[in-house]
Amino acid sequence: MIDTRHKIIFDPEKCVGCQLCYKACFVDVIRWDSENKKPIFKYVEDCEHCYWCEAICKRGCIRVIAEYESESLLQNFDCYR
Amino acid sequence: MDSKYGRKDLSTDVLIVGGGIAGLSAAVSIKEHDPDLNVLVVEKQTAGYSGKANKGGGVLQYFDLERIRPEDFVAYHVHSVGCYLGDQELMTKYVSMNHVLLDKLVEWGAKLPKNMDGSYCVTPTGPMTAMIGVDLDITLKVRQTAERKGVKFIDKVAVSDLITEDGRVTGATGFSILDGTFYTFSAKAVVLATGSQNYRIGPMWSSGRGDGIAMAYRAGAQLRNPEFGNFAQLVKVNSHSECVFGENYMYNCAGENITKNFRFFPEADISSSAVAEWFLQMSAARGPITLRLDEDRSNNALMSLWDRPFGKQFWKLNHSRAAEVDVDNEVCPMFIGEQSPVRVDHDMMTTIKGLYAIGDVSYCGSAAPGAVPAPPGRNRGSGILNAVFAGVVCAESTCKTARSNELVPLDEKKVEASAERVYAPLSRETGCTAKDVIRLIQRAVGPVEQSVYMSAHRIAIALKYVNKAKELAKTLKAVDFHDLIACHEAEAMVLCAEMQFRASDMRKESRGWFLREDYPDMDNKGWLKWIIVQNRDGDMVFSTEDVPYKKWKVQPYID
Repeated sequence: MIDTRHKIIFDPEKCVGCQLCYKACFVDVIRWDSENKKPIFKYVEDCEHCYWCEAICKRGCIRVIAEYESESLLQNFDCYR
Repeated sequence: MDSKYGRKDLSTDVLIVGGGIAGLSAAVSIKEHDPDLNVLVVEKQTAGYSGKANKGGGVLQYFDLERIRPEDFVAYHVHSVGCYLGDQELMTKYVSMNHVLLDKLVEWGAKLPKNMDGSYCVTPTGPMTAMIGVDLDITLKVRQTAERKGVKFIDKVAVSDLITEDGRVTGATGFSILDGTFYTFSAKAVVLATGSQNYRIGPMWSSGRGDGIAMAYRAGAQLRNPEFGNFAQLVKVNSHSECVFGENYMYNCAGENITKNFRFFPEADISSSAVAEWFLQMSAARGPITLRLDEDRSNNALMSLWDRPFGKQFWKLNHSRAAEVDVDNEVCPMFIGEQSPVRVDHDMMTTIKGLYAIGDVSYCGSAAPGAVPAPPGRNRGSGILNAVFAGVVCAESTCKTARSNELVPLDEKKVEASAERVYAPLSRETGCTAKDVIRLIQRAVGPVEQSVYMSAHRIAIALKYVNKAKELAKTLKAVDFHDLIACHEAEAMVLCAEMQFRASDMRKESRGWFLREDYPDMDNKGWLKWIIVQNRDGDMVFSTEDVPYKKWKVQPYID
């Protein structure tokens, strides 16, 4: 999907810097800030709402809010949505 | 040549491009065959997390080989799914190895739910087919096994070009997606395991962006069956979550069961006729199309079939969030793609010496499935196992190639040309964005009446978008390395869509998944042929090749 408006809410206070969310992101939305040992949600517009980052975080730091309406189905009958 | 972003020159016996289940299976198998060979896996994101095997339903195809013989399944498949276009010998080998592959996965750490007596928990899906579960940490487990066996990994490096010399692959080039460092890899054998082309539409399929298909094409490898790159799946219209097996319970706004219009007996999986039926009903103002709630057997049912604790946390999130917006059961098809045309022989070697292609980059190119897109096209649960199969069977030949070849220094002129091509979007002052190009390609492939239920007229419309995108792609501009990947993916999408629609225009018949409104019948007299594509000095050249069906057991009817 492109041109989406998904949001990712991150709580840096809870984060222990395990890098699992960074590794789990398969579409390069998440980069790693090695100085502060925290993820950077740099390319959120490319998020595919797979929820891996949220599910794999053992500290519950991440919440993905998918705005499904921003994903186009690309069909000529989108009017039924 | 020194790249302004820095340069690293590496060498290895075997270079594997892509760290999904196919690449990981090959890496482990090669080490099992010859522990002394150096094996390097280079992955654009993070090996073990990438690819599709860890994002789907966690399903493996199972054959009860005490009840059915491999040739029984192949006969069913050839008649009902592959429609005489498949390589029956390769399909028979895949089915025969089913239990070997499952045992390998268990040995490599994958968790397959079992009964108390140690047998697999099997769920039948038809007279010939069955499924068993696998937990979604499968790729992580196989990566760990590979590391234990001495396989080396480089993550966050996108391989962009293959380098060849006298018809043999000598290595590859790439760049770091983090800091842009230019990489060269000198290798005795190269294995492409980069997945299919899915045009960034279906979320879980989104890692397949055609990188390997484009690389192989540019290097001059033959591609086969590019027109079978048009898989589509029913999804809920609000959340776009898939409705596996939902095609069995489709109803129109008048409350009529429309599944009866295209399905006369239980079938293994979704067919293109279900997609066409949706389009015809919608065109006749009989939409919206819904699944009967009381008959719905989609994802939630699959999730609870087996105990898979790792996957459960992802499925739970996905389903609960989707349920928040799915106020009804309206469905529509979502184009997915799964184009996988890199031609390989029975050892998974491409038409370029020393270059192998495995998994979803070469599924249709192997010709094993016949007239159907890559897994799960009409063969649910076969995606992961086909990737494992290809990884396992390529190992012996890859080891032989790596042992007999010498490392050849990469031709510096070719390396320079590759670097120039790779970084070109970063050096343009102005130009279009990758998304400008991708948007046009998506307008070509997305609407299912253009890509699945086709006609000459609608293919021509799709090609207009593709040609527009092709022109625009000459001016691609990237602002950073993340954007640079997208530019190369956009170029790959243009190539793949062009061969998809031009080949679709050539095939003037309907066969298996391939469906044309203007040529509704299967033409065994004229079209028992494969369409072959090859890059000849920059031109996309198409030809046909007769399918050698006479040497196989199951014969088509030709009047």
